Amino acid sequence: MPEIAEPRPLLVQIYRMLMADKFALCGVIFLIILAVSAIFGPIFLEDAATRPNLRGRNAPPLSMENGWVNFLGTDSVGRSMLARILVASRNTLQISFISVFVALSIGCALGLIAGYSTPRTSNLILRGADIIMSFPSLLLAVIVLYMLEPSIFNLVLVLAITRVPVYLRTTRAEVLEVRERMFVQAAVVMGASKRRIILRHILPMVIPTLITIATLDFAFVMLAESSLSFLGIGIQPPDITWGLMVAQGRPYLVQAWWLAFWPGLAIILTTMSLNLLSIWMRTALDPVQRWRLEIGRKTND
Amino acid sequence: MRNLNSCLIGAALVTMTAMPVMAQDRNVTIVLGEEVDVVDPCMSSRSNVGRVILHNVSETLTELGDQGDGLMPRLATAWEPVDEDTWRFTLRPDVQFSDGTAFDAEDVIYSIERTNSDQIVCDNSAKYFGGLEVSMEAIDDLTVEITTSPAQPILPLLLSGVTVVPTGTDASAFITEPVGTGPYIFSEWNIGQNIILTRNDNYWGETPEVESATYVFRSDAAVAAAMVETGEADIVPSMSVLDATNPATDFSYPNSETFFLRIDTDVAPLNDRRVREALNLAIDREAFQGTILAEGVIPATQIVPPSTLGWNPDLQVWPYDPERARALLEEARADGVDVDTEINLIGRSNNFPNVTEVMEVMLAMIQDAGFNASLRMYDVSEWEDFYSKPFAGDRGPQLVAAQHDNAKGDPVFTMFFKYHSEGLQGAVWDDRLDSLIDQATAATGDEREALWREAFRVVGEEIITDIPMFHMVGFARVSARINFQPTIATNSELQLAQITFN
Amino acid sequence: MKAFIGKRAISSVISLVGLIIMVFFLSRLTGDPTALYLPLDASIESRELFRELHGLNDSIWLQFWNYVQDIARLDFGDSIRRSRPALEVVLEAFPWTLLLAFITMILVTFFAVLIGSLAAFRAGGVFDRFTSTFSLIGSSAPDFWVAIVAIVIFAVQLRWLPTSGTGTIWHWILPITVLFIRPFGLILQVVRGSMISVLSSAYIKTARAKGVKTRPIIFVHALRNAMLPVITVIGDQAAAMLNGAVVVETIFGFPGIGKLMIDSILQRDFTVILAAIMVTALAIFIMNLLIDLAYTLLDPRIRY
Repeated sequence: MPEIAEPRPLLVQIYRMLMADKFALCGVIFLIILAVSAIFGPIFLEDAATRPNLRGRNAPPLSMENGWVNFLGTDSVGRSMLARILVASRNTLQISFISVFVALSIGCALGLIAGYSTPRTSNLILRGADIIMSFPSLLLAVIVLYMLEPSIFNLVLVLAITRVPVYLRTTRAEVLEVRERMFVQAAVVMGASKRRIILRHILPMVIPTLITIATLDFAFVMLAESSLSFLGIGIQPPDITWGLMVAQGRPYLVQAWWLAFWPGLAIILTTMSLNLLSIWMRTALDPVQRWRLEIGRKTND
Repeated sequence: MRNLNSCLIGAALVTMTAMPVMAQDRNVTIVLGEEVDVVDPCMSSRSNVGRVILHNVSETLTELGDQGDGLMPRLATAWEPVDEDTWRFTLRPDVQFSDGTAFDAEDVIYSIERTNSDQIVCDNSAKYFGGLEVSMEAIDDLTVEITTSPAQPILPLLLSGVTVVPTGTDASAFITEPVGTGPYIFSEWNIGQNIILTRNDNYWGETPEVESATYVFRSDAAVAAAMVETGEADIVPSMSVLDATNPATDFSYPNSETFFLRIDTDVAPLNDRRVREALNLAIDREAFQGTILAEGVIPATQIVPPSTLGWNPDLQVWPYDPERARALLEEARADGVDVDTEINLIGRSNNFPNVTEVMEVMLAMIQDAGFNASLRMYDVSEWEDFYSKPFAGDRGPQLVAAQHDNAKGDPVFTMFFKYHSEGLQGAVWDDRLDSLIDQATAATGDEREALWREAFRVVGEEIITDIPMFHMVGFARVSARINFQPTIATNSELQLAQITFN
Repeated sequence: MKAFIGKRAISSVISLVGLIIMVFFLSRLTGDPTALYLPLDASIESRELFRELHGLNDSIWLQFWNYVQDIARLDFGDSIRRSRPALEVVLEAFPWTLLLAFITMILVTFFAVLIGSLAAFRAGGVFDRFTSTFSLIGSSAPDFWVAIVAIVIFAVQLRWLPTSGTGTIWHWILPITVLFIRPFGLILQVVRGSMISVLSSAYIKTARAKGVKTRPIIFVHALRNAMLPVITVIGDQAAAMLNGAVVVETIFGFPGIGKLMIDSILQRDFTVILAAIMVTALAIFIMNLLIDLAYTLLDPRIRY
């Protein structure tokens, strides 16, 4: 006798669907560990991350000789790499997350409006995006950070603004495509309000694409911040971010590879986890695709 | 559009070109850290311009020897003071510019006038003629008299930085094809890519070994260093200590820069001498040597190198004594000095390799001695706002980190700017020091030396206006196929004539 | 169509004017350039002379008015730093970057679309996981870091390629490769995502149900529809290529506009910054126009 699937609580559903995709699961676990250590790590390790020790400089990694704190080696003035990476993770994640979130929200909202309103409004919004886009984001950031101080707030502001057009244009493009589809046309014919069409029919179709881009943008923002550090106008020491650590470690590439390697690895792992998560989310959020994970669950059961 | 063509052709005709062959030929390639974007001889005191132009294309009347042999003749064969404010220079006969015209006294006058022209802004004018009224007279073809107001006792030294161009050189704009008397001719400038000099066969002096030199620009020091390693280039005159990993090709040389922190003596608690002394005692200078700074840096007692006239040998390097520093701080606190005000260390990003690390370590040392201090790194133009007057009225107590370059052998280039009340970068206001500097500037001979020596004592011991750190070193990488000894002068020039082949 | 292009041109000019105004005032607010050009110990007099010569003593409004007048005559003024016409300086550098970006973008588009749609056919398969992972690792590494490592490996250790500079085709390989990695990873992901979405949509299923079995036909059908979001991203990436160009050109000593712009910003060479912006903005507007045209070609339902 066939089992009748009962609606399960959301969390359980998410858990089940996550279990079906081991890659995404790894990504989520990594991100959770990262978030926890970014929140609590700095409290215990602030001192180890900022106290120079010239006698113990450039200590090689993967050795317990200098205590567990220095397991990942020490930097050019003898500070623990592990402690610095954890302390830097807070700034890095804050900057990236807030920038991407702000850019996505504004970009998506403007994109929906642009795709679903009068040509005049649409044009106005698109030309606004053109202004930002016609100037490479990194250079815009350089100019703005040059004028204002390169503080974390300003960095977030400028990175967010420069990322808005991506979401805006993608959203609009998707809207243009989706609104011609049968089910949207049907809703229009049946007299659904604009608001309802956008929120109920269009937004859900747009979100998966946006999230794919957002996760990659998370990486982009981390890397843009890193490039700004390379050019010397990002976050200024003694503040630290992963990007700044990579930039500072670059001259030591030959003598002490770990200075640039660990923070670089942190960036790569974070980006990859987010991406695996986004692949999973794309499937999980798409009603047409979800069966893939559900089948996975059933066969696992 | 020439570049568009060359760029497209370069991509299209790829098969015709091959990797540069470096062996037997007598050409050298030199990698500069910053693009040379002007080539006017009157900009030769800018170090990247000087490394191409100075003494290669354009020459000067006098030349400062780099091995301690003082001022040597170049385009002038002799010079003597006529009276208090006038100097007479005898010029070298039978010298030709690379365009074929003969060199004479009119050219010298024209060159100095052009340098000081109000149509163009020349670094050489700002650097050597600031505040000087100059009048000149050609006595005959090969004799020129130069009068300055006020009197300038070291005029011949100043002229070691002033390049000579032929009469008639455009004085309303920077020239792009400099003509000079030097051993090399400026033959090609592919903007952004390279500059090529070729040997001048009509040169008045000895014929050098190098036939032609190509200058390329790489802002990344690691890439520049790699180019010598792979044989793509022969000399990197300036690179980071971090890349100086091969003792066979990498040479350190004193680069005439002195690293120091200027103390703002006007703002509490830095207006208390004990606090300034405590700052100096808090720094463990030895800890930097051979760790984040090169082994060869020399702890400094004053901000000019020992080869400078009037350098005071009696000043001692501050010992590392955090105990005493703490005691001095407590003493000041007991007298009501507000020693808990946060002191700001102001650093300049990319001032020299590792500057950030150095500043971070200094911050930790100062904090260890009981100071409340913080650090901010600024890019050069923002940093300038802190370094040069006018200072902000409500500034807190500041320690501004800077490098000072004085390779000229006379502290007049230093003292007024850094220590006179009216000096652009002075953060000390002391009448006695002002009059000492004024007297010394006008004095000559032993008196001049004694006055400078006294001024350095006042600055370093009596008032304590700085935290002197190190006389710095630079690193050059020189390919094994050539002989070139970098010296203190390599910071501002690179004489191709000094290069020989192995 | 003509009316559309005309309209676009007008609105482009308007946004260009907006950009110029913004950057003019931003660049003037970033501080007095005098200190950057003259030696630190330059006297007050020479500083004053410098300001006078370059009109930096005038009020900012007067400076702006003069600038607008000059621009109307297509005179961008002289570079403060180089004492040559700013437009000349920019036009020397621009072709380098244009060629660099163009070659890179062609390669990126070709490989990203090819590999991305192949991956989408077997979403979740080995090939898909493999390409996703590798493109992702590649595009997650900071480009300046990749560039230096590439130089250390291919130029210094293996001696296969020159470290940097220009001259032969070999000089172009490393910069293009470094510039290639990031947009490739991003576009690959978008192609893949879009293709998966299209492949599972009703009309492809219908087509399959109706008996269109041959893969190439499905591929072409699906690709055509999947290209809409892809083209948007390609456009963005082509513009963003200048970001990569800044870093790549700096490291490889490439005399392009990215390096020129960053140098000019650091040196506060206003005239060059503004001329460079005009030229790049113009190029990007033209490209956006082409992208909009591509939309209409791919999807006739979209009308402007």
